[in-house]
Amino acid sequence: MMNAPVGGAKHQLLPSCSILALLAAFALPMQAQAAGTRAGSTISNTASASFDTGGGSTTINSNQVDLLVDELLDVTVDSSNPADVPTTPGATAQVLTFSVTNNGNGVENFVLSTIANAGGDNYDPVVTQIYIDNGDGVFDAGTDTLYTPGANDPQLDPDESVTIFVVATTPGGVVDGNRGIVSLVAAAVTGTGDPGDSFAGQGEGGGDAVVGSTGADGTDAGAFIVSAATVTLVKSAVVTNSLGTADPIPGATITYTIVATVAGSGSVSGLAITDNIPGDTSYVASSITLGGVAQSDAVDADAGDYNGTRINVALGTVAGGQTRTVTFRTTID
Amino acid sequence: MRTVLFLFLAALLPGQALAANQVALANDVFVERISTDAQGKQRILLEEPKVVVPGDRLVFVLNYRNAGAQPADKFVITNPLPAAVRFADAGETRPLVSIDGGRSWGQLDQLTVALNDGTRRAAQPDDVTHIRWAFQKPIPVGGSGKLMFRGVVK
Repeated sequence: MMNAPVGGAKHQLLPSCSILALLAAFALPMQAQAAGTRAGSTISNTASASFDTGGGSTTINSNQVDLLVDELLDVTVDSSNPADVPTTPGATAQVLTFSVTNNGNGVENFVLSTIANAGGDNYDPVVTQIYIDNGDGVFDAGTDTLYTPGANDPQLDPDESVTIFVVATTPGGVVDGNRGIVSLVAAAVTGTGDPGDSFAGQGEGGGDAVVGSTGADGTDAGAFIVSAATVTLVKSAVVTNSLGTADPIPGATITYTIVATVAGSGSVSGLAITDNIPGDTSYVASSITLGGVAQSDAVDADAGDYNGTRINVALGTVAGGQTRTVTFRTTID
Repeated sequence: MRTVLFLFLAALLPGQALAANQVALANDVFVERISTDAQGKQRILLEEPKVVVPGDRLVFVLNYRNAGAQPADKFVITNPLPAAVRFADAGETRPLVSIDGGRSWGQLDQLTVALNDGTRRAAQPDDVTHIRWAFQKPIPVGGSGKLMFRGVVK
């Protein structure tokens, strides 16, 4: 009875307001997400007791304990490339894709950096830019945002992810099969450290910011694999004459065989074999073959042609491990 | 409207005030931290909840005391679980729990939850919305005790 005067209009509004405030306090933590209760929300606990001391049932409430939820700093980085990304020696604008996820419970900015010289690979890709995806998941330097550390560190809500593109140049000296690793590092701008380290007052909503199990920084590696191919040409000649010998006498026929061998894990495109007809010999019309199949001398649908001074066979794209055999004949004048 | 509000408050407020002179219920919350010393031994520490983050284990301690002149019969303590806290356990105190906002009560291992496909599954600590201790005997004059339960910050 001491502290609860009842009656009079002026007392009615005040307690009803405090009841509303209590309801609001209970409503706040409902926003719980996978990353956890949002930083800055309040956990309120009140218990009640009911009993009967002879005058009927009575209910009392305990004191209310309010806990401010602090911000947990957690981030993970995942490579989005399911396998090593093929590249070629000297290639520019080679792209590795990563995703950065805020696993904390507060909105946070993350500073991005790359490590390309950590070893465990054959060469160091030269990182030229980092881009922040515009949301379509596809790299396009025209529409994605060029990242500048400290200027546009991506800001992520709890559970939010962003796709990051790391753009690199492949050194010219690498050879087929070489692997180059680039790691993307994302670190909470508020701070990083050992799990449990805290930054007083720097959490979202006015609480502390506490380093979570990830150390508030995350990293993952992506890799390029050099996929190059080399072409070896081997040319041989066989002479036949009317005498039945291999002597290169006038009138003898020379059959040239050119074997193109493509080696490596990549492929070559636009491969063409061209050979000038030697002096003092004459090309035998329609004598070009490719893989044993006769080719016409005209520039037409088939791969071979003869223009009066040289034969040419367009092989197009040939994958590593394959060979192409071209033959043609001349006669000795 | 004004009259209804007035009556409601009139019923609520004197009850609280009267009870404050007779039976008290105090609520404290601690954070349970496990520290490992150099020998690898784990120690459980209860700390003031200065810093609370998702995943922290909270220990809710309820102290009751009957300071009145009459025994308190049909003594029931109810604690609605804050929405941001997942129930973990209540030690040895064997409380009743509710998984439906306080409408029905039972031991956790006896409650089931209806699934969309018409079947029912056993209730999990995750489902708990309220915790209740119902005392079999009156709390005598001067009697006191302590109850506790643990929860994890979602």
